[in-house]
Amino acid sequence: MDLTTIGGQLLGTIPLGDIVLYLTPFNLFMFAGALAFTTLIAISRTETQVEAEFGTLKDKEVKVDLQEFKIRRFLAIVCGLATAGAMITGDLFNFTLFVTLIGIVNIGIVSAVRQVDVLNAAFQYGLIAMMASLPLFGGAAIILASTGTLSLLELVKIPYVTSMMTFGSLLLLMGIIGETGVAPFYATKAEMFRTPGSPFILIIHLSSLLVIVRAIEVLLIINKPF
Amino acid sequence: MNLMLNILLNVTIAFLLGSLLFGLQRKVMARIQMRPGPPIIQHLLHTLKFYIKESTFPKTAAMPFYIAIASILCVIWVSAVIVGPVAQGSLLLIFAIYALHKIVEHNAGSSSGSPYGKLSCVRAVFSAAAEVPLFAVLIIIYLKTGTMVLSDITAYQAQNGALLFTIPLAALMFFVLILSKAPYSPFAITKGKDIISGYETEHFGLLRGYLMISESIAWYMLLWIFLTVFLGPLSLLGYLVGMVIISVIVAFINATTPMLNPNHSIMVQVTLVFIGIVGSIILLML
Repeated sequence: MDLTTIGGQLLGTIPLGDIVLYLTPFNLFMFAGALAFTTLIAISRTETQVEAEFGTLKDKEVKVDLQEFKIRRFLAIVCGLATAGAMITGDLFNFTLFVTLIGIVNIGIVSAVRQVDVLNAAFQYGLIAMMASLPLFGGAAIILASTGTLSLLELVKIPYVTSMMTFGSLLLLMGIIGETGVAPFYATKAEMFRTPGSPFILIIHLSSLLVIVRAIEVLLIINKPF
Repeated sequence: MNLMLNILLNVTIAFLLGSLLFGLQRKVMARIQMRPGPPIIQHLLHTLKFYIKESTFPKTAAMPFYIAIASILCVIWVSAVIVGPVAQGSLLLIFAIYALHKIVEHNAGSSSGSPYGKLSCVRAVFSAAAEVPLFAVLIIIYLKTGTMVLSDITAYQAQNGALLFTIPLAALMFFVLILSKAPYSPFAITKGKDIISGYETEHFGLLRGYLMISESIAWYMLLWIFLTVFLGPLSLLGYLVGMVIISVIVAFINATTPMLNPNHSIMVQVTLVFIGIVGSIILLML
């Protein structure tokens, strides 16, 4: 299997000891996209939600207070950097670490909101993310045990696929789905999106979708249908 | 041809043709509903109009996020034109671009502070759960052809025939995705009239112009991807005829179908995803 059939032309590699980053237009675009959005989040203020009040003709303004703003912005930047890392890394273990970090900071971004419904959603997401870390790391460990490497550049060169590699990939996929909170776990995340703080909510959505897109590449590299 | 000139030419064609196809859709829908309808160039004129209108920003908006997000949408779809018609690059990269498009659609709504935008934003989150798997149908193309690179997929079809006939369920899934992005579609829940104009409600002047340009390019690109990956190497006339036919079919569906409730819309799409993926894998194994 050739790496270029998935992400396009291989533009270069960056060897960092055992860990070798590889650059394709696909990885570079997602890396640059994640960094651009992170920069935007770092310099933006939050919106004010205007809601109708029951029983009167007045409007209610829902704002993010300064203390909450600071901690959520910090966590959103960490999440953006972790997402960028997950897009560019060439090492499966690093990928799982970045995905776990994304899960942790996403919970932090929403749990800083002082609303019962949102905290409830964050708690449920937290439970799923915590449970998902076992198949996530377990999957990576099984792939290491069955192939002897976690480098994606080495994995792509292995000409065969064993059933343990497929089993490890399935565990990995389960872990990624849980950590990023996509379907069928997205219901609690939608609850989180109702709160003010649009720039911070963006990074939750961005990290989930980009990690899923990258996961497709990683799973194809491990399982090599060709 | 010079690369920059090639990009400029393709982006201009994408914008103009996308706008005209939207205009054609409205015309066909109007005729079905026994109305004369607007001229076909109406969508194009409407887009250009916003560039000479005053730009105002809500005082509740998340600045500069609110402004940047509309511009980013434009950049994203120009990138898609570069990856697609210009460079014939990776389909997975276009998938990543589509994922970013969903994020921008979601945050264009939430960044204004308007409750209509916020509702559209929440609907965008739900719709992503259905639309992204619909786009993931492209994985089936990889399983069939062994490549994600557009030029290689075209070459495969030149040798083995159009993929439309070998993986028809995958083509159907992608068509549903195209239908979801059409205005007045049964699946266009993010821009339902019950929430005014959805995520576009609080965007005026220049920013609305950016959003409309992006929509036109996005429409062109989705049709281009469909024709390229399912019908193989086509001439310019082939692309034009194909885009007109798909737009007219979509207009017929839109004119005769009411907009679905958000939950029903997602469930219909998810059901189609399930049928499409399982059915395609069975077809590949036969």
